[in-house]
Amino acid sequence: MQKLIAELKEKIIDTLDLIDVTPEDFKENDRLVGGKLGIDSIDILELAMMIDKDYGIKIDNKELGQKVFATLGTLAEYIHKNRKG
Amino acid sequence: MNGIRVFITGMGVMSPLGNGVPDLLDSLKKNRSGIKPLSLFPASAGNLFPAGEITGFEQTDEVPRTHGIALAAAREALAGRNLIPDAIIIGTTTGGMPRTEELLKKGEKGADPYRYHSTSSVAEYISDVLQCTGLVITVTTACASGTAAVKLALELLRSGKAGRVLAGGSDALCRLTYYGFNSLQLIDPIGARPLDRSRRGMTVAEGSAMLLLEAAESAPSTAIAEVMGGGLSCDAHHPATPQPGGEGALYAMKRAIADAGITAADIGYINLHGTGTLDNDLAEARAVCALFGEHVPLLSSVKGATGHSLAAAGAVEAVVCSLAVRDGLVPANTGCTEPDPALNLRPVMEPMRKKINAVLSNSFGFGGNNACLVLGDPGIRRAISPHKSAFRFEVMGSACVTGAGDMEKTLHNLKQGKDCFGTLPLADISKKLQTREVRRLKRLPRLSLALAMDAAGSAAQKPSSIFFSTSWGPLSETHDFLTKLFESDEQFTSPTDFIGSVHNAPAGQAAIWLKANGANITVTGGDYSFEQALFAAALAAEEENLLIMGADEYHEILSPLFDGSARIGRVPSDGGGALCLKRGTGSSRVLISPLFFERSTNNRGIMESLMRSLDGPEHVRSGYAAIFAGMPAVHKAECKKQLSEFISGTGFSGPIVDYRTLLGEFGSATSAAAAIAVRFAQNGALPPALAGGASCTLAGKGILMLGLGNCITAIEIRA
Repeated sequence: MQKLIAELKEKIIDTLDLIDVTPEDFKENDRLVGGKLGIDSIDILELAMMIDKDYGIKIDNKELGQKVFATLGTLAEYIHKNRKG
Repeated sequence: MNGIRVFITGMGVMSPLGNGVPDLLDSLKKNRSGIKPLSLFPASAGNLFPAGEITGFEQTDEVPRTHGIALAAAREALAGRNLIPDAIIIGTTTGGMPRTEELLKKGEKGADPYRYHSTSSVAEYISDVLQCTGLVITVTTACASGTAAVKLALELLRSGKAGRVLAGGSDALCRLTYYGFNSLQLIDPIGARPLDRSRRGMTVAEGSAMLLLEAAESAPSTAIAEVMGGGLSCDAHHPATPQPGGEGALYAMKRAIADAGITAADIGYINLHGTGTLDNDLAEARAVCALFGEHVPLLSSVKGATGHSLAAAGAVEAVVCSLAVRDGLVPANTGCTEPDPALNLRPVMEPMRKKINAVLSNSFGFGGNNACLVLGDPGIRRAISPHKSAFRFEVMGSACVTGAGDMEKTLHNLKQGKDCFGTLPLADISKKLQTREVRRLKRLPRLSLALAMDAAGSAAQKPSSIFFSTSWGPLSETHDFLTKLFESDEQFTSPTDFIGSVHNAPAGQAAIWLKANGANITVTGGDYSFEQALFAAALAAEEENLLIMGADEYHEILSPLFDGSARIGRVPSDGGGALCLKRGTGSSRVLISPLFFERSTNNRGIMESLMRSLDGPEHVRSGYAAIFAGMPAVHKAECKKQLSEFISGTGFSGPIVDYRTLLGEFGSATSAAAAIAVRFAQNGALPPALAGGASCTLAGKGILMLGLGNCITAIEIRA
C-alpha cells in the first residue's frame, strides 16, 4: 500500500503539472480537492482518466469520484481493491 | 420617429428532429426524440453513447459537414426570396474539425485538405455561395455562440449598417466534442433528460439553423417573429462549470428582457438552455426562480429531443421559439419523466397549444458565457425609441506581445529599424502570471492573459466586457487532445485539454482574472479577426469599459497546415495585441473606429465602397498621415494590387507600413499592429525607421489601418 501511495504521488504531480509540489507535500489523509495543493474538479477528471489508463479502473461519475478522490488514502485503497490481477 | 424593429422573415434548420422547418415542427408536435446511438463514426470500445445526429443529409466531399449543414439551413432560410443578405453572422465551435480530425488521424501532411479547417471558413463559405460581400462575423463563444450571433445581428440591424442579415449557428458531430464531453463525465448514458430527478448529463448532437433577419419600422408580411431583444453576460467564475447560484445566467436574462423593453411578467414561455447536466440545470433553475419568483411562465428544454448541438443550439432553439410565437406550439421537455424537486420548476411535459406573445430563449456555455434572446409576436404594435450605437472608442490602455517581447521591447526594435519576428519563450510570456494559477494553461491562454493584464493594468478603470479574437484558437490544446485520443485508440484523452481547446477559453480566463461580468464574445475571422472583434464590440458592448484583444499562437505542426501565410513566412512568429476601450469621444485620448469591412471575392465595387466609407480621396489625403497595411503573405500579390489601386485612387503620399514584414505572419498581427499604432498616435509621430528614414509627425492626422486580401477592412486611429 505504501508503495502504491508513493507511486500515486508521483503520478499526480506528473499528470497535473504540479511543478511547485513535492511528494512530501502530500499527506495520506489530507483532502485532495480544495486543499493546499490547489487541486480542483477539472484535475479530478484528469486523474480519473489517468487511473483508467494506468490501472484499468473506471471512476466515471461524480458521486463515486467524490468518495474515491476524497484523500490520497481513499484513492489508494480503491485502486488496491479494484485492480485486476 | 420610430426606432428600427428586427423581424425574422426566413428560417432554415437541420437537426436530429428533422431537416427543414416543417419536419422540425412535426417532431415537436409529436414529442419525438431524435437521440439515437452514435453512427456517424465508430465509437471506441465501451464508449458508445446516444447522440443527436442529422439523418438523410447527403455529405459531399466539397466541404466539411459543419459547412454542408450550414448551407442547407441557409438555403431554406432564403428559399423563394431572390435576395442576398447584407451581412452574415454565424456561430460555430467545430468549424472544419469533423474533417480535420480525420485528416490528422491518418497523418495527412499536405496543407490543401485542411483549407476548410478554420471556424471562420463556415461563414466565409456561406457568404461566397450566397454572393454576400458584406460584413462577415464568426462567433465562437462555445454553446452560447448561436444566440450571441443573433444578438450581434440584431444590433447590426438596429445600427442601420445593414438591412438584412443572415444569422445562425452550425456544428457537426465530431470526435473532439463527442469524446471531449465524455472525458468531462457530462454524458447521460441513456440520453439527456433535462430537469429530471435522475438526469446524468447531456447528449452531444449536431445541428444548424439560420435566420433571415430584416430591419423595418413595422412588421412586413413575411414576418414570422420579432427579435425584441438580447442580453449577454459572463459568469467570470470557472472555465467549464456555471456559477452555482446562476447569477451570470440571471444577469443575461434580465438584460435581454430590458433590451426588449418589456418586463419578466410579459414572458409567456422560456426555452431553457437545459442541457441535462446536474450543474447546468440547477444553476439555470435558480436563475429562473430568482427572476420570476412565484410567477414562472411555461418552460421546457428541447435538448432531450434534439441533444445539444453546441454553437447551433441557440439558433435551432430560436427557430423553435419562433414556431412557439407563430403557431402557439409550446414544445415538451422531452426526456424528463419526473421533474427534480430540487429545481422547483414544472416543465411542460407534453406539447401544448397556447398563444404566446413573448418568449425568452437561454443559451449558456463554457467560459461562463451567457446569451439570451427575447422573441415576440410581430403583430403586436410596439413603440421603440431609436437606437444609437457609437462606432468609436477612446483608448484607455494598450499592450502587445511579439517575438521581440512586450510593448516596450517591440517599440524599441521598431525604432531601431529591427523586426519583431519570432515566438517568445513561454516563460517570458508567463513572467507576470502566477505559476499555480496558470499551470493548466498552454500558449494561447497565457498570451491572452499577459495581454489582458498589461492592457488593463495601464487603464484606470477595469473593463467589464471582453471581445477576443483569434484566427486559429488554442492550437496546443487541440493538438494535444487529439494526439492523446488517437494514440490510445480513442480510449483516453485529456479533459483539461478539451476545456482549453474551446476558442473562447482564453477570453473566459481573462474574464475570471478581471472579474468581467459583461458581454464576453470570441470571434474568428482569419486574418481579419481583430476587425471582427472591433465591429462586435461596437455592436454589443453594453458596458462603458471593455477589453478588446487578439492573439494567436504558432504551433509547429498545426500552424503550417492551417495558415498559408505562416507556412511561407520566413520566421515562425506569434503574439497579439490588446486595447482597453471606453465608448465615446469625450476626452483628449486616442480614438479608434471600425470603418469598413467587406469581402473582396466577387466584389467589383469594393474600392468605391471603401472610398465612400472613408469620405472620399480628399479626406484620405488630408485626414491620414500614415497607413498600416495588413498584407498576409499568402495573398501578397492580390494585396499589392489592392493597395496600389487605393494609392492611385486617393493620391495618398504618406508612409505605408507593411506591418507583417516587421511582426511576422500570424493572424492576430493586426491586433499587435493596432496597439502599436495607438502608441504612435499618442506620441504624435511615427519613428523615422518606419517612415522611410524621415520623421513623420501626425500633426492631428490619423493612422489608417487597411486590411487587404480576401477582405478589405479599414480602422481609423487618431489622437
